[in-house]
Amino acid sequence: MSSLSLRGVRKSYGNVEVIKGVDLDIKSKEFVVFVGPSGCGKSTLLRMIAGLEHITAGELDIGGQRMNDVDPSKRGIAMVFQSYALYPHMTVRENMGFALRFAGVAKEQIARQVGDAARILALEPLLDRFPKELSGGQRQRVAIGRAIVRNPQVFLFDEPLSNLDAELRVHMRIEIARLHKELQTTIIYVTHDQVEAMTLADTIVVLRDGIIEQVGRPLDLYDDPANQFVAGFIGSPKMNFLPATIVDKATGKITVELIHHDKARLTLPVTSGVVGDPVTVGVRAEHFGTAGAGNADITLDVDVAEHLGSTSYVYANAGGEALVIEREESRHETGSERITVSISADKAHLFDSKGRRLR
Amino acid sequence: MAQARLARREHLTGWAFIAPALILLGLFMIYPIIWSLWMSFQVGKGMNLSFGGFANIERLTKDPVFLRALGNTFTFFIVQVPIMIVLALLLAVALNDATLRFRGLFRTAIFLPCVCSLIAYSTLFKSMFANDGVVNQALMALHIIGAPIAWFSDPFWAKVVIILAITWRWTGYNMIFYLAALQNIDRSIYEAARIDGVPAWARFRYLTIPMLKPVILFTTVISTIGTLQLFDEVYNFTAGNGGPSDSTLTLSLYIYNLTFKFMPSFGYSATVSWVIVVVVGILSLIQFLIARDRRSS
Amino acid sequence: MTDTTMASAAAKPVARTSILPGNFWGLVRRSIVYLLLSIAAFISVFPFFWMIVGTTNTSADIIKGKASFGGAFMQNATTFFTQVDALRVFWNSAFIAVVGTVLTLAISSLAGYGFEMFRSRVRERIFGLLLLLLSIPFAAMMVPLFVMIAQAKLVNTYVAVIVPTVASIFIIFYFRQATKAFPSELRDAAKIDGLKEWQIFLYVYMPVMRSTYAAATIIVFMANWNNYLWPLIVLQTAENKTITLIVSALTSAYVPDYGMTLFATVLATLPTLIIFFLLQRRFVEGMLGAVK
Repeated sequence: MSSLSLRGVRKSYGNVEVIKGVDLDIKSKEFVVFVGPSGCGKSTLLRMIAGLEHITAGELDIGGQRMNDVDPSKRGIAMVFQSYALYPHMTVRENMGFALRFAGVAKEQIARQVGDAARILALEPLLDRFPKELSGGQRQRVAIGRAIVRNPQVFLFDEPLSNLDAELRVHMRIEIARLHKELQTTIIYVTHDQVEAMTLADTIVVLRDGIIEQVGRPLDLYDDPANQFVAGFIGSPKMNFLPATIVDKATGKITVELIHHDKARLTLPVTSGVVGDPVTVGVRAEHFGTAGAGNADITLDVDVAEHLGSTSYVYANAGGEALVIEREESRHETGSERITVSISADKAHLFDSKGRRLR
Repeated sequence: MAQARLARREHLTGWAFIAPALILLGLFMIYPIIWSLWMSFQVGKGMNLSFGGFANIERLTKDPVFLRALGNTFTFFIVQVPIMIVLALLLAVALNDATLRFRGLFRTAIFLPCVCSLIAYSTLFKSMFANDGVVNQALMALHIIGAPIAWFSDPFWAKVVIILAITWRWTGYNMIFYLAALQNIDRSIYEAARIDGVPAWARFRYLTIPMLKPVILFTTVISTIGTLQLFDEVYNFTAGNGGPSDSTLTLSLYIYNLTFKFMPSFGYSATVSWVIVVVVGILSLIQFLIARDRRSS
Repeated sequence: MTDTTMASAAAKPVARTSILPGNFWGLVRRSIVYLLLSIAAFISVFPFFWMIVGTTNTSADIIKGKASFGGAFMQNATTFFTQVDALRVFWNSAFIAVVGTVLTLAISSLAGYGFEMFRSRVRERIFGLLLLLLSIPFAAMMVPLFVMIAQAKLVNTYVAVIVPTVASIFIIFYFRQATKAFPSELRDAAKIDGLKEWQIFLYVYMPVMRSTYAAATIIVFMANWNNYLWPLIVLQTAENKTITLIVSALTSAYVPDYGMTLFATVLATLPTLIIFFLLQRRFVEGMLGAVK
């Protein structure tokens, strides 16, 4: 069952279009993460779903009903804001029950629902405090509690963890994942942090400049990105991009020559592409092998090595082109060394000059 | 388009919030202003008005009392505003020093005159500046003057009292604006200047003044408007006549007298009031231009 | 001031060879600053002291500059209360100031919120126009305003004093500035919680902005309580006059009874003085908020 759908949704401010036609179906109970760089329109899209921004064109359905012109409070959604947006003059209890008060719910009913939500989030000892008396993490939980109380069809989260410190962020991430399991509702979650997206999402929606670049499960996006943007955005450290030229083409495969690596050649199982075209070869840091183990060897000068314990990242370059290589065995590589690593054709991705994936 | 229903509702709500204020301002401000502009081209006494073209403006140029009032107002403006602004600025800088003791006490004391109504303080000043009053006695005791000054019957000293009084009332007010602006300045700028060996006077001249420029401009414009509208103090000191011999008559007092004291001459008094509007406009413009000029250089 | 010494010492190392303690000039400067500040503070406060002392002296003593407490307080008070219907006068002042303040805050804060929250090109233009009008002196509208009030037969009424001042451009501007600090996500949250715009204003905006309201209350109350020219024009009968008008009338007498007049001045200043000391912090904060 589709819980929420967007059809040809657009948003413009005056002449500036910020959402340029978005189509998306979100299944019931799905945890969807909108991710993208700042200014990509992910928050605007979320606010359009919430009803806080008007939809310039297109259709928004929630639970099978057209919602374009429905008041935010009647869309069956609840939202957790980046700044938490707790009412500073009300206690936690009043904050959580505020929406119900205006929906005309009876006092005892409000008390019961607030109590239930407080129990789920372990907020009971804090109910009579004011927001300013709470820590960042506690405020975050109250904000979530306020959303839960309304018993919505869809939860909307707008960068909820960005105001927390690193440790708390990891903790709350796990908390939110647990909550999703427990509540079994649809969640739409906006973040610019691809790690949050990877760890939380059932489905990731990658946005850039107001359009969807790719929709998919986290590991599908990681293993099989649709274009160079997604390949570079998802994954840490970033995928390495090596400029190359197509030099030969045969049925089911093409051969490229890496520009900065003594014309090292690599043959890939790709069917599209024209001989002579400039292309980019994408290789993830962990996909470089030992010399001779892959299909092409490249030699690099080591700039810096970061030893993280379980693994090491080697920052190296060839002719000014910087690469990151993950090496488990090279724990003590330092600068001014030369290393040779190999690239395997089956782990490499190929993109054309416009960033489109060549398959 | 149906899509825009939410947007249109929001738009209407926006108007609803400002409508009461706009209606009242339209009725009690914009309408009277336009009316007075129209009135300024009318001649006649009382309600018997007829269109007189530029007759009122002509009358202005030949009216010695008006010219006197204009001159007095300018004197107050040119002497009082700079004194007050400089004084307020110096006090603010002195009080902005975090290591200063009794800062709060000094600040409260210097700000206190603002609490006093214009009428209350002019009463106080009138009694203090009486011929045998406390001010003359103090000045004589300090051997600054040999004989009492007839503050209110001498045209020169009458102006001095008014300038002193206004300065007393408003310096603290302006000082608060500067203090606020000073507190918004990042302290590390001064620390950097100190490490660079910039002396105190240069920090004041090249850091404080430029950074306070917008506030100085704001307070100067506000003070200009206030001074050109000077009324309460003069009315109270001189029982409404601007004496001695019109030496303290201001434009606002003259307008009041034209309207409510003599045979009402609405058209002419409207013309005089528009003189204030024009002068305020010109002076504000000049002040803006000066501020901008310095910024570009 | 020690910092100044450090700076000058760095610039002119020779100064350090002086036999005097390193911060001697710092001490001198500091003493001058304290002296000047003390003089400024004395000049600022002395008239208040004078006012209070004056209530205990006879008019003759005051004119002779007697700056010590005397024994004429009861006499001054008696003269004042026999000459002036004090209860009536205070009621007039209080009514005008309180009702005027409440209405001004309501109307002007609504407008300030409206201008800031609902931006549109037309409304921005209107706001710009209002800022321009801020510089038009009251004298320019005084005459037509009086004619309007006279034609509406409102002379000598509270309405005539209160209503024209209720929409204050300065207070609208003040609230708009303050609203910029109101978190817009609170409004979003309230919308999702199902509040209508007026409910957001009433149940979220007003309580959250209460210190802005407090500061504005003081500013507007003082302006109304101390307002002079307009009440002078429209309140012409004795039973309508405010304390400010009474003080002025007593001062303008041919031979003013200063003992009684200063007694009246104390009464006129006391409410604003009390409010100032009670809410001093809020007041200064409010003033500061207006500049930011």
